[in-house]
Amino acid sequence: MADGLDRRGFFKLVGLGSAAAAAAGCGKTTEAILPYVIPPAHLVPGVATYFATVCRECPAGCGVLARNRDGHVVKLEGNPDHPVSRGALCARGQAALLGTYDPDRVATPRLREGQGWKPIGVADAEKLLAEKLAAARQAGAGRIGLISQLETGTLGRLMDDWLKALGARPRVAFEPFAYEALRAANRVTFGIDAIPYHAFEDARAVLSLGADYLETWLSPVGYAGGFRRMHALGGGIGGSVIHVEPRYSMTAANADEWLVNAPGTEALVALAVLRILLEERLGPTLPAKETEALLAVARTVEVEAAARQSGVPVARLKHVAETLAKGAPSLVVAGGVAVTGPGATEAAVAANLLNHALGNVGKTVRFGPNSALGRASRYAELAALIRAMANGEIAVLLIKDANPVFTLPPASGFAQALAKVPFVASLSSHLDETAARAHLLLPDLTPLESWGDYSPREGVWGLMQPAMGPVPPLSARREDAVDLLLNRPGESFPGVQTKPTGDVLLDIGRALVPGADKGPFRARTFADHLREAWQGIAKATASGVPFELFWEEALRRGGAWREVPAARVTLQPGIKPAGQVPGLAGPDGPALMVVPSSRYYDGRSANKPWLHETPDPMVQVVYDSWVEIAAETARRVGIATGDVVRVRSPHGQVELPAYVSETLHPGAVAVPLGLGHTEYGRFARSVGQSALPLLPAEPDPASGGLRWLAVRVTLERTGRREPLATPAGTTEVDHEREIVETVAFDEGMAGEKAGGRPPAHANLPSMYPDLKYPEHRWGMSVDLDACTGCQACVVACVAENNVPIMGLAEVPRVPVLRAGPFFALAEQPNPIAYLGKWQIGYGRSIHWLRVERWWDRGHPPAGTAKPGGAPRARFMPMLCQHCEIAPCEPVCPVFAAYHTSEGLNGQIYNRCVGTRYCGNNCPYIVRRFNWYRYQWPAPLTLALNPDVTVRDRGVMEKCTMCVQRIIAGKDRAKDEGRRPRDGEIMTACQQTCPTQAIVFGDLKDGQSRVSKLSASSRGYHVLGELGTRPAITYLKKATKETHG
Amino acid sequence: MSLGEEHLPPGPRPSAPGPTFADVNRDVIRTLGTAGNLYFAWMSVVALLLALGILAWTEQIYYGIGMGGHRAPQQWATYIVNFVFWIGIGHAGTLISAILYLFRAKWRTSIYRGAEAMTVFAVLTAGLFPVIHIGRMWLPYWLIPYPSERFLWPAFRSPLLWDVFAISTYLTISVVFFIVGLIPDIAAVRDGTTGWRRRVYAVLAVGWQGTDRQWRHYRRAYGLFAALATPLVLSVHSVVSWDFAMALLPGWHSTLFAPFFVDGAIFSGFAMVLVLLLPMRYYFNLYPYITERQLDMMARLILTTSLVLTYFYTCEGFVSWYSGEPAERASYLFKWVGVYAPWWWLQIFCNSVVPLVFFWRRARIHVPTLYVVSLLVLVGMWLERFNIIVPGLGHGFYPWAFGVYLPSVTEVAILVGSFAWFFILFLAFIRVLPSVSIVEVKETIPHPVRAGHAQHG
Repeated sequence: MADGLDRRGFFKLVGLGSAAAAAAGCGKTTEAILPYVIPPAHLVPGVATYFATVCRECPAGCGVLARNRDGHVVKLEGNPDHPVSRGALCARGQAALLGTYDPDRVATPRLREGQGWKPIGVADAEKLLAEKLAAARQAGAGRIGLISQLETGTLGRLMDDWLKALGARPRVAFEPFAYEALRAANRVTFGIDAIPYHAFEDARAVLSLGADYLETWLSPVGYAGGFRRMHALGGGIGGSVIHVEPRYSMTAANADEWLVNAPGTEALVALAVLRILLEERLGPTLPAKETEALLAVARTVEVEAAARQSGVPVARLKHVAETLAKGAPSLVVAGGVAVTGPGATEAAVAANLLNHALGNVGKTVRFGPNSALGRASRYAELAALIRAMANGEIAVLLIKDANPVFTLPPASGFAQALAKVPFVASLSSHLDETAARAHLLLPDLTPLESWGDYSPREGVWGLMQPAMGPVPPLSARREDAVDLLLNRPGESFPGVQTKPTGDVLLDIGRALVPGADKGPFRARTFADHLREAWQGIAKATASGVPFELFWEEALRRGGAWREVPAARVTLQPGIKPAGQVPGLAGPDGPALMVVPSSRYYDGRSANKPWLHETPDPMVQVVYDSWVEIAAETARRVGIATGDVVRVRSPHGQVELPAYVSETLHPGAVAVPLGLGHTEYGRFARSVGQSALPLLPAEPDPASGGLRWLAVRVTLERTGRREPLATPAGTTEVDHEREIVETVAFDEGMAGEKAGGRPPAHANLPSMYPDLKYPEHRWGMSVDLDACTGCQACVVACVAENNVPIMGLAEVPRVPVLRAGPFFALAEQPNPIAYLGKWQIGYGRSIHWLRVERWWDRGHPPAGTAKPGGAPRARFMPMLCQHCEIAPCEPVCPVFAAYHTSEGLNGQIYNRCVGTRYCGNNCPYIVRRFNWYRYQWPAPLTLALNPDVTVRDRGVMEKCTMCVQRIIAGKDRAKDEGRRPRDGEIMTACQQTCPTQAIVFGDLKDGQSRVSKLSASSRGYHVLGELGTRPAITYLKKATKETHG
Repeated sequence: MSLGEEHLPPGPRPSAPGPTFADVNRDVIRTLGTAGNLYFAWMSVVALLLALGILAWTEQIYYGIGMGGHRAPQQWATYIVNFVFWIGIGHAGTLISAILYLFRAKWRTSIYRGAEAMTVFAVLTAGLFPVIHIGRMWLPYWLIPYPSERFLWPAFRSPLLWDVFAISTYLTISVVFFIVGLIPDIAAVRDGTTGWRRRVYAVLAVGWQGTDRQWRHYRRAYGLFAALATPLVLSVHSVVSWDFAMALLPGWHSTLFAPFFVDGAIFSGFAMVLVLLLPMRYYFNLYPYITERQLDMMARLILTTSLVLTYFYTCEGFVSWYSGEPAERASYLFKWVGVYAPWWWLQIFCNSVVPLVFFWRRARIHVPTLYVVSLLVLVGMWLERFNIIVPGLGHGFYPWAFGVYLPSVTEVAILVGSFAWFFILFLAFIRVLPSVSIVEVKETIPHPVRAGHAQHG
């Protein structure tokens, strides 16, 4: 310090330097980190805990394992123990996490004040509700109503008991897709009011009359698993699947034969098949009396006439009958639009008769383990409630997780009736259209935070436990130095502070019902109540086991289940012939099919941006809704894809962008359901259009169910365009490239039995010496024969790997040089959807894994009404191929892309400078770039997987084969002093796949499943001729399309 | 009388017998005099455009590369087009100053200084684009091999790293070459100025006295640098072309690319030299120095390189057909008939058809024709790089990921900004440094003493 710098001066300088360094490091500012003073039990920081619970995104009730890291759930996985889903989840199930972390969820109770809301304390809200209920009760019986979604567990029973104790109307368990025609048909044919279990897995041949069992019908994940077991070549069965539907749905695309029929003619097709079956004595021998009865019904239909009306040629009908007869046990299912239109019950009856004639009842059609959907309220009950509401008979209406304002056709008058109810309380955790019309919001916790149970079918009780506490308050974050400078805080979340609905019901029950302390409402909390209720289930499933043990086991396994034997059912006498199919109302035009979306179901999943940004499996469009128009119709009206079309029915009109389809029956137009929300949070609001205004509210006269195929519509050009956004460039297979490969079924089967050979091109010579993998070489096989294209893996990948939401990109808010797409951002009805659409449509999706739908014109679908014209869909899950000789690696100037000693193409985000050369040089275009900084508004931040880096703008990223899971698996094995077992490490996509099309493992281990599959005779490498030596082997899809 | 003279501006005509030594000094140093309003007007316009470009870049740095029109599969687009374009422009200067020097092509003397300055500025402009292009523009130094405590090292297998070396070498050599060539001229300017300017020029002139010994050293150094720079003319753009040729992509993966790019570079470089020199000739009245002969020679070079380019275009098409590769053929066909086809055909028109007018001598010395053709060549060459990069990437191996790129406002602003940056440098140059080489021009005119019998070489 001799030269004038004293000690103080020195420290000042050091301090200044440090401050400057700290300021220079202002990237994303971290939040305050506070350690637990007393850590909760089971919570080890950095170690994930899995809680078994139930997915409540649709009535299928699949089993879920919720992965809790540091106090909040970060990922949902299929529960392998669960008998419904067998370890898989669909796209909606994977996205369920976002329901809990929805920034717009109703976190605390609110009371209506004019047009807006004011916050209200939980106790006050409960008191207010109790007062209103007490007053309504005093006014007389039946003044209180409750609409819930399908609740088949303890909460449902508690609601019923509670309503009864309050002298209220019986609960309406509203499900828009309740398939009442199936119940009606089962009453008619077998005298049972239930929806049976369909054992796809045991069938050898399946005929589906419009049932979209791979998408939404009854239990899509479970049925997809069954479908794989009976159909995929890998299972060694290779059963036949025939699908009858006017629209080429994803389920139709996975069938071996798709019979395109005129809308509403499924009953005719089924009866014609029945007639052929019986008259040609193809099926098993039945008692003479039954044969007579069946023939009496079948003979009401002339095969020729049925063929003419439905458009399915006689030869095809015969072929169907033969296939079903040969493939015993077979399975005939009726569902989807076939059972919601005219002749719905007739179609379902015909399916039943076919099943009976084929001897399937009791084998593949099992009454006994009946579907929960058979217990949904009938539409008539809701209609009665609406009438009562409209007449002013209802004083208090409670709504829990049902959204009839959105999911019922406006013609039903529900919204108007709702306005007449003096006090509406919503117990839903989201502000949907119905909740938005309520007077009081007393939100329940979301399923992941709640105790509960749900029985998806007889003999299966899924148990829900809180996989996490209520979402905590999250403070506003500043994103970076510029936000700090401009005083722009991030978004905060107030934290969920409410009372579970079960607790509310118990408390109010105790308060209002004298003597309830000892009665059904004696439990202090719903958790206690649930435990008590499960004593009965314990007796039914595990008698003799102490309850404590049973309970613990149930919590661990996710429920309790037992085999329910198939009940014996007999054919009812006096089944009426189907007669003439009633016509559709409306002008002379195509029939309108409103189909449940595999992404949004009936619309309840529309607030989950992961689903918005996942393309529709068939149409490959993100975000939007559209009207699918047959090419012939489109040509006649003069519209192209993206033109906005005015669809007009006798009930209303809707303007929708057109999607011109080469596959749709010209007599139909199809609109997916689920979008067009006016409320339901920032992600759902003002995205797409709902087709419900076009539909009538009157139920199907035969079954009493809601009709989704009820009217004919006219189409008019509006002259406007609203391009649909798709991440696909072109989807034509015919590019002379080895991308989506097929093999003839017989050849594939022969190869399956004879054993394999290494894929062609696997060992093209390289200039460089072969790489050595000392320990492992991770690889994957993707069985295209099993892949149904459902997109579940895509969402699982997004959830696991913190893949950002494109709609939440940070784009200029200060319009200095706003580029075209950002000009009108603020004026967009939904800026998130606009941005997301624009970016994904412009090839900026960051999905590491995509499931592509290709059109194969080389193999026209058998039996199509458009010979040679309609293409055949092929699905292709495409992800980083982890090439041994990877084109991406040598071009990176900084070694950000490199090859690991375990065969992965690694990507070091921190090292990446963003030259994007690797992205150019990847022949598969699977490398994804962070074009912007993407936001996670609180509490979406909690959905981030702490094991995976969140990438900042300007770096490349791609599939890592879930390297974090590989590391975790290896660590676990190391701790236990062994090598990782085959199948122990699962990638997120593999874990969730309902058809187990994806197998991951060690290629160095010759005995691993992936090694064996990679050597399959069906194996090939995509673009293998480039000599990239991918670690992913695709197994060709076996096609039966050369038949007949 | 030639066609060109009809378009000469009013003012002094070139003196009939050719300029004397004194004329050279006077004419050249006159360009450094007080600037007029026109100059400042130009400067302001260019500065404004540059500011716009900087603004656009700032915004892009803050929000991310998404502000450009990039997408998958076109993860490279306008910025890389600009980079290759500007590197190409930067070729003619060295070609003129080094290769033609070594070949003793005397007609180069009056234009090489301007061309050399153009080279330096074009490389300086080109060098910006990799930085503008990369996702994290604050980290380009990671491409430089420097000892790091983290033992991080760039990957020498990557053509991008070869680029770093090729361009930095080229920039260094051309800057040194430029400065060395300037020394005697700066000394001449120094001798004609006073005040602070004189002191600045004195520093730049590094004590040049014009002694015999200095001249000998100067000559030797100049020749050495010319010899050093000559292979660079060929190598730099070859290396740049390997960015593409080393990739797997159909339409890129071609051994044709190195000569193809070098030829294109020279072609566009000469066009840019004409675009710059013709106005200079007009405004500074450099008619005695930049004569019809210079124009003629340059037009001939443009014609030659255009013909070579046409040959390469033909080759490219033939090879992609002959390869039998479906992806290769589809990629080439996409350029012909795909969404970018108009730009492809405009490129062919500008690069292969328009320069054919130079088969006529009258066109070669007709100033407006020269100017229009040069501009069209620049457009064509920019489009050529665009047509290699954008449609090439857009129609690769994987049809599902085919795509169409659209330039964004940000990209256009930065492109305009890059021209502004280049011109602001050039405008500054013509005011502060002699834009015609006094020394070498003097070498070509007969020595006053030995007038009549001396032909200096």
